[in-house]
Amino acid sequence: MSRVDEELTQFERNARAILEESARRIDARTRSRLNQARQAALAAAGTRRRSWWASFTLMPAGAVAAALLVAVVLWHREPAPTTPVALDGQHPAVEDMELLTDNDSIELMEEWDGSFYEWAAAQSDGGAESNS
Amino acid sequence: MPEFATLASPYSMPAALHGDVDLTDPEEQTQTRALNQFLAGVELKAFKIAQAALRHEDDALDAVQDAMLQLARAYSARPPEEWKPLFYRILENRIRDMQRRRTVRGRIMAWLPVRGEDDDEEFDPVAQAPSLEPQPVRRLELDEAMGALEQALGRLPRRQQQAFLLRTLEGLDVAETAQAMGCSEGSVKTHYFRAVQALRAQLGELHT
Repeated sequence: MSRVDEELTQFERNARAILEESARRIDARTRSRLNQARQAALAAAGTRRRSWWASFTLMPAGAVAAALLVAVVLWHREPAPTTPVALDGQHPAVEDMELLTDNDSIELMEEWDGSFYEWAAAQSDGGAESNS
Repeated sequence: MPEFATLASPYSMPAALHGDVDLTDPEEQTQTRALNQFLAGVELKAFKIAQAALRHEDDALDAVQDAMLQLARAYSARPPEEWKPLFYRILENRIRDMQRRRTVRGRIMAWLPVRGEDDDEEFDPVAQAPSLEPQPVRRLELDEAMGALEQALGRLPRRQQQAFLLRTLEGLDVAETAQAMGCSEGSVKTHYFRAVQALRAQLGELHT
């Protein structure tokens, strides 16, 4: 007797008895196939449990392998390149480097004679006016 | 060979052999035994419930097999007292999927040329011959009552049928039925009450 029996009416109890009898009369072929299905389900549950445990037993080995991989990657990692970067992408940094390292360019910068260039500019302006 | 039979034959299921299940761990052994006992206890009723819904033996077997597999794979670690509502919930989902697929298949088949239903069936005179052994009157009456009840159940709306079978045949209480059907306890009571009324209206008082 189940816990719901007390609540059932006579009609429901009779219906239940008929349905249970119907289930009892299920043929041998169907019972056999249900039994196969059950065995397959039990095997699947066993496989799942084994794979779950296998993942735990392999976890230390996996952790060691991952740590080794990280160590190797860090060990062989090249330092970051130190080449100068172009500003605003307008002129290449290589040209700046040449100016700084070229001794001739530095001397020209040091011997800057602004008055000569001012005089030359005035001459050319004056020449142009006199020509016109 | 039935068209929709997809259950594996006994020769193609090596994983189902007892030798493949590692029963060395006592805890695992206990759990496997409990699961086996549970499935053996529900399989016949589950088949009847699936058969009432799908009205096709092989589809019903497929549905029960799928429900067993899914319960075993996904929920076997749960406490055994949770298995029954879970199992019937899975079974109901599977039945619903099959009914939907069947509806789609029916729509497609409606566009194809008509084909006789009995084309694949061969007439078996031995199976069709009436048994010479006289059946007891009691058994005959029970057969009639069973046929009438199964037909009336087949005419019920799906949810009413489901509530009636889970409560009456499987003996689930209202809370477990609600869990299996994925609805409120109030809905279960309503579906069940209407099912009993409809069956009584069709069958009168049943006699066993």
